[in-house]
Amino acid sequence: MSLAIETEKLVKIYGNGKSMVKALNSIDMKVPKASVFGLFGPNGSGKTTLISILVGLLLPTSGSARVLGFDAAKHSVEIRRRVGLLPEGFGFYDHMTALENLTFLATLDGIPSDQRRKRALEALETVGLKDRADAKVSTFSRGMRQRLGVAQALLKDPELLIFDEPTVGIDPEGAAEFRNLVRRMNREGKTILLSTHLLYEVGMICTHAAIIREGRLLVQGSVDELCHSVRKEKGFRYEIRVKPGSEIPLQEIRSMPSVVEITQSDNRVTILSKNDIGSSLFSLITKSPYKDLVESLTPVEPSWEEIYRFYQEGG
Amino acid sequence: MMKNAFSIARKEFTDTITSKRLWLIAGIFLLFSIASTYSTSFGFMIGGQQAVRPMVQIASTIASTMAYMAPLLGIALAFDAISGERERGTLRILLSRPIYREDVINGKIISALAVIGLTIAVSSLASVSVSILLHKVAVTLDDVARICIFIVFSIVLSFAYYAFSLFISTFSNKSSHSLIISMGVWIFFAFILSIISSFVTIAVLGSPPTRAIAVFNRTRRGFGNFTSPGVPASELEEYLSYMRKAAEISSIIQAFSINYHYTQITDSLFGFATGPLGFGQRERTIASIPTVLSTRLIDIIVLIVFPIVFLVASYMVFTKRQEK
Repeated sequence: MSLAIETEKLVKIYGNGKSMVKALNSIDMKVPKASVFGLFGPNGSGKTTLISILVGLLLPTSGSARVLGFDAAKHSVEIRRRVGLLPEGFGFYDHMTALENLTFLATLDGIPSDQRRKRALEALETVGLKDRADAKVSTFSRGMRQRLGVAQALLKDPELLIFDEPTVGIDPEGAAEFRNLVRRMNREGKTILLSTHLLYEVGMICTHAAIIREGRLLVQGSVDELCHSVRKEKGFRYEIRVKPGSEIPLQEIRSMPSVVEITQSDNRVTILSKNDIGSSLFSLITKSPYKDLVESLTPVEPSWEEIYRFYQEGG
Repeated sequence: MMKNAFSIARKEFTDTITSKRLWLIAGIFLLFSIASTYSTSFGFMIGGQQAVRPMVQIASTIASTMAYMAPLLGIALAFDAISGERERGTLRILLSRPIYREDVINGKIISALAVIGLTIAVSSLASVSVSILLHKVAVTLDDVARICIFIVFSIVLSFAYYAFSLFISTFSNKSSHSLIISMGVWIFFAFILSIISSFVTIAVLGSPPTRAIAVFNRTRRGFGNFTSPGVPASELEEYLSYMRKAAEISSIIQAFSINYHYTQITDSLFGFATGPLGFGQRERTIASIPTVLSTRLIDIIVLIVFPIVFLVASYMVFTKRQEK
């Protein structure tokens, strides 16, 4: 597996003596290339510290971090040349227009002068702000500023994008647009690291995730792996949709050895099982009388809240 | 590396030159300079005195206004230079670019040098030009040279305050804190230190003898006129001796003030005695420029070293500081 980010025993300590705070405690994180990696954790769990180390804004107390093959402590400029970062709590020059802000930042990104304006307009178009290109940033709403923040990260067409709390302050529609944008960029082969405490906003688009608490990485892996562990512990859930006005016999399902609970409401039947009985259920519903009564069978994935709570509680 | 610094400097320069803050300071300076030169010139007229070097005297009036305005300009440009970027979150965006932290501070310094140089040169020359037109005074080549030297040292004074305020701004998270500290230091150097020096002088030497003050008032026939027919030489000497000692104590205490060194240079340049005759006594002859520069070498060195020290300190604090 080719990695975009790899950290090894990363430790960051702030202060000393009595005021010492261990913000990161031996973090080993691996972010595969071309993944959408969610870094989830509550406020103050160490997410921003970790990101700051990855782009060379902070130096680790010990351990190492490699981003796109570069050592974060030694080659931070090379990393920032290739990484688009949306930092938490960022701001823009309010007296300048959106286009002026992006053109100035494009200069610092090393984009040739004849391409800066074009790239800035493209980035604004990507985030849906092209019609506001000549408006002063002081007139922007919080959601628009957040979108402009995404635009500045896209300027240099980076291979890795790091978004720290990207959906804070934006409305549900904006969050949905952001998710679509991330999916689109991921399809183009970009690696995206999303750090957030609002996992319901972005959890659904992640292919991989890690959960961090009090500076410790509790778990990491592909979303399937994380879900599987939850399912193994909490049970596998399936939903059968029945044609309106119909009912299916439940005896055969109830007789399956690992089934622990069946609930029925309207035209839905939810089955909780200790083991994976997906293939058995599928065989069952393709036979009579089920095949004429069932509309669909879907495994119910654990929600991100469930996954998060499961690992936070030591799962 | 300097390419990025110049990009930041260019933006900073444009922002500053179009800012209301700069125009306000430059406007106030122009207004005060012209008003004070007019009052100087008016003083000559009603006093019936002939100025020995009218242009030099007008320039010295501008210099006394500059002693207050140049530090304010430096502080106005620096107090939020770094802390303001930090507060607004723009520092995070800047530092997420492929640039070095040095680029940010270099850009700020380059821009500040250009703005300070331009503002002080233009406003000084404008004040002088307006005064020339208003008072119709003749200007010699020596006057022009003195004004040019005055402009250079005014830029250095302003830059000294810029460097100090920048230093405070590098480790401050709030611009308001940085402004309060910078203004506090300016007020201390410009006003409080001279009050302290007066208190110390009185504490050390005691109050000036009443007789000596009476002698001083009787003998003071215009600036620097200490010929005093009818006053016993011993009484005059008593007064002069007191004033000499007072000036010594004052110069020792005020040596801590950057403003004092600047005033020493401009006073010498425009013909004020700063030695044993005490404060503000104009000499009849004006020392040549090489003499001024050589006698005020220590003041010049202090004026140049002060900003260098704080620039180095700003560099060290800013480049070593880690920002989340």
